[in-house]
Amino acid sequence: MTWLADLRTSALLGTGRHAAPEPPAELGFRPPEGLSREESLLDQAAMADVATRAARRPGAADSDERPAPAPPDDVPEASGESARLLDLLLNQPPVSQELRRQLVIDWLQLAEGARRRVPHRLLPALLTLADTRPGVAEHLYPAIGARGRWLQDLARHGASGPPSAAGTDWEVLGSADATLELERLRRSDPAAARGLLAGQWDTLGARERAAHLGTFAVNVQPDDEELLELALDDKAKSVREVAANLLERLPGSARAGRMAARLRPLLRIKGVLRKQFEIELPPDPDEASVRDGIPGDPRSGEPDRLGWLETIIRGAPLDVWTAVSGRGPAATLALLENEPRIVAAILEAAVLRADLDWVRALVELRQEPRLLNCLPAVERESALLRHLSSSGRNPLTLVPLLRDQPRPWGQRLADEVLRLITAKNGGQLAAMLADVLPTGLPLEAADECRRLLERSDDDAARRRVLRDVVQYQSFRKSLTEAFR
Amino acid sequence: MVRWSEEKVTGAAPDDSSMAAARKLARPGPWSETGSNDVLVWGKCQGSGKTPYQVSVDLAAPAYRCSCPSRKFPCKHALALLLLWSRGQAADAGAETADFAREWADQRGERAAALERRQTGQQSDPVAQAKRRADRLALMDSGVSDFARWLTDLVRTGLAAARNQPYAWWDAVAARLVDAQLPGLAEQVRAMGSDVHARADWADHLLLHAGRWWALTKAWGMRDQLSPTEFADLRVAVGWAMASADVQGTEALRGPWLVLGAYRTDDGRLQQQRTWLRGPDGTVVVVLDFAAQGQALTAPQLAGAELDTSVARYPGTPPQRAMFTSPVNARGLAQTLGEGCSIAQALESESAAVAVSPWRGRHPVLFGKVRVSPGGHGWLHDSSGDALPLVDAPLDSLLAQTGGHPVDLFGELEEGRVRPLSVVVGQRVVTP
Repeated sequence: MTWLADLRTSALLGTGRHAAPEPPAELGFRPPEGLSREESLLDQAAMADVATRAARRPGAADSDERPAPAPPDDVPEASGESARLLDLLLNQPPVSQELRRQLVIDWLQLAEGARRRVPHRLLPALLTLADTRPGVAEHLYPAIGARGRWLQDLARHGASGPPSAAGTDWEVLGSADATLELERLRRSDPAAARGLLAGQWDTLGARERAAHLGTFAVNVQPDDEELLELALDDKAKSVREVAANLLERLPGSARAGRMAARLRPLLRIKGVLRKQFEIELPPDPDEASVRDGIPGDPRSGEPDRLGWLETIIRGAPLDVWTAVSGRGPAATLALLENEPRIVAAILEAAVLRADLDWVRALVELRQEPRLLNCLPAVERESALLRHLSSSGRNPLTLVPLLRDQPRPWGQRLADEVLRLITAKNGGQLAAMLADVLPTGLPLEAADECRRLLERSDDDAARRRVLRDVVQYQSFRKSLTEAFR
Repeated sequence: MVRWSEEKVTGAAPDDSSMAAARKLARPGPWSETGSNDVLVWGKCQGSGKTPYQVSVDLAAPAYRCSCPSRKFPCKHALALLLLWSRGQAADAGAETADFAREWADQRGERAAALERRQTGQQSDPVAQAKRRADRLALMDSGVSDFARWLTDLVRTGLAAARNQPYAWWDAVAARLVDAQLPGLAEQVRAMGSDVHARADWADHLLLHAGRWWALTKAWGMRDQLSPTEFADLRVAVGWAMASADVQGTEALRGPWLVLGAYRTDDGRLQQQRTWLRGPDGTVVVVLDFAAQGQALTAPQLAGAELDTSVARYPGTPPQRAMFTSPVNARGLAQTLGEGCSIAQALESESAAVAVSPWRGRHPVLFGKVRVSPGGHGWLHDSSGDALPLVDAPLDSLLAQTGGHPVDLFGELEEGRVRPLSVVVGQRVVTP
């Protein structure tokens, strides 16, 4: 319609500069005589207004653009009290952010157990929460049902940009992004990551080779050895160091074998009644030793022979020690009573390789959080308990371990933590554990917390933590009952 | 006036603690310039500050005034003064009324008289009423011709130039319209001030609205030739409110009224709530509630509820504005909103409504079997392949509740877009 376009032009420029157009004849409209330019334009604008509104046409729908409707949900909807509680958690959470997250996860798991699904109307708020709180995202299935998955697909479809950077495009990424991408790939498909890096190895700079190779710490495995051996010959020292460190995690590797060959001649058992290890210091490293990461002679000062020995111990398989002593790890360690630096090097090797036999033996000797971390959850709890109750130890150093411990904790561990928290100066520990404590303490401990809360206590942080526990457990109880 | 008993004073106290505080003050020490006459008791009480508090009590109302900052009413000072007076310890009659007490009493008297004048005058003085109406019309006439002149200036200098004007320029025009008692027009002009910057299609938007305003000034000039219904629509457009008392007297339509949907707006100054209702014979009306900023609107009626009530309609073309004329009782929830129409039919009925009343920009529509789909602000589709864009739509919620399946949907059609207000899902009317 050129009339409307002309009208717009006149109006934009102003009738002072551009006269209004003639009204279109087909509208059968004859303007009165003697109108000013302005009156003519406004008259026509009024007509355009009514005509536009009266002649509105629907847009045509492009059926390809429309997503197919959601498939039916065959799981019944959670209703009544359980739906009300989820609504409350999502829209007016009566608890702290952290508790809310945990309670939403609890809700989802309880719903799964009871074969119920999230009511459709609550899905948007739940999916939004899951976007910002990754912990929730892992527990969405199957509770969100078919409708929830359909909504997620829609959101993904709507936000679909170029395909993920994985695969063929990896070469063109910037080096920091490439490292991140490689690390991501190591988690899901270590062989693919290795293939990518090996394919590009010769085109990369030293810094990139070192950084990319460093990602192999995720899921390092015997198949990586070939590339790591290649890296031991690298021009750049940083790359060689990364390779040597990674090979230390592979006790079956050729390098470990070479280290074993260096270590064995240095070890002897002496003594008749009180047996002891006699350990010699290694000779000056040859070319092969330097290649394996044993530093050569320094330009100045004394050569660090003990340092060489430690490098050899870290690199060699631990069964060299049991073979020489003819005993198990615990008894072998007993023979090393007076050699703290040697034990420390063995500990490094045991932790790096997560060698359970040695870790179990060492954990009796050393209170070292890294050792506890290597233990399976059940053993870790009792070891943790021993550490916590030993008096000389600052419990704050064990906080990271307590966080990693599967929840809820066993009764004894829970009791011990509660005892430490309620002791004098326990407020700091309480504050550091604030986010895990509600889920860490089992249901029975909540009653104890309630009793403790009734006591007078000036420590606001501690009171808040205890209140969170009580609040969480009582909300959790309502959830369980709602799904019964 | 007879002195109050101590019990009567106690009865006036808002709570026990006020009374306890008052008893401590009820000794002559802190008081000065006390006195009383037939209707007033007054006095000054020295508090912790430099200036003593001025306390006055109107015994007849009773009403209390004190210059202290207490939010309790009456405050402890007023109560203490009354105690002293009731015991005959202070504020004897006969003294000359203190200035502050007399001023207050005079103001109260004037206000009461004015109120009385208003109430009686409105009912009993047709001459004064006609004069007020003539005065208002004269004011509006000059406002309308002033506005018409502004419109011609607007198109002479061009819309592009108007867009470069600061917001204050539009506000000044709006303020003149308010002064001319044309608040409806003022609101539209004020909204345009931000629309020209916010909207991509600002040029067409402004051009078409200028045309609509121009037509309105013309219609105003020939208002004597309009039918009462047409004039009523014009009144709404310029913002000349109809007194609710005048509506109350008209024919009441009995229910049950089905709540089709409701919508709230808040422009920062005023909150508005529109509730769309459909009567047993299919009549659709809208109930408007207003609240100033900071005040609470009446609770919205639940979409799908059937209300036992009757309404009276304001004059105008359908769908008319209405008000409840009897208590509103919900009698149950409907499982459906009834038979809906297609998108093409909805646009046809909009076009028919524009032909009858060009001032109205919003049309209630019940769509049948439409699908909601994503993209932009969301879309509505029907089975014949027609589509309309959504506006103000909580798209996530609509998609979650409908799953992209065909549903009945009630909404407001405005400028070719649909504002969804309620959806029928699984035999329940829900709000997205």
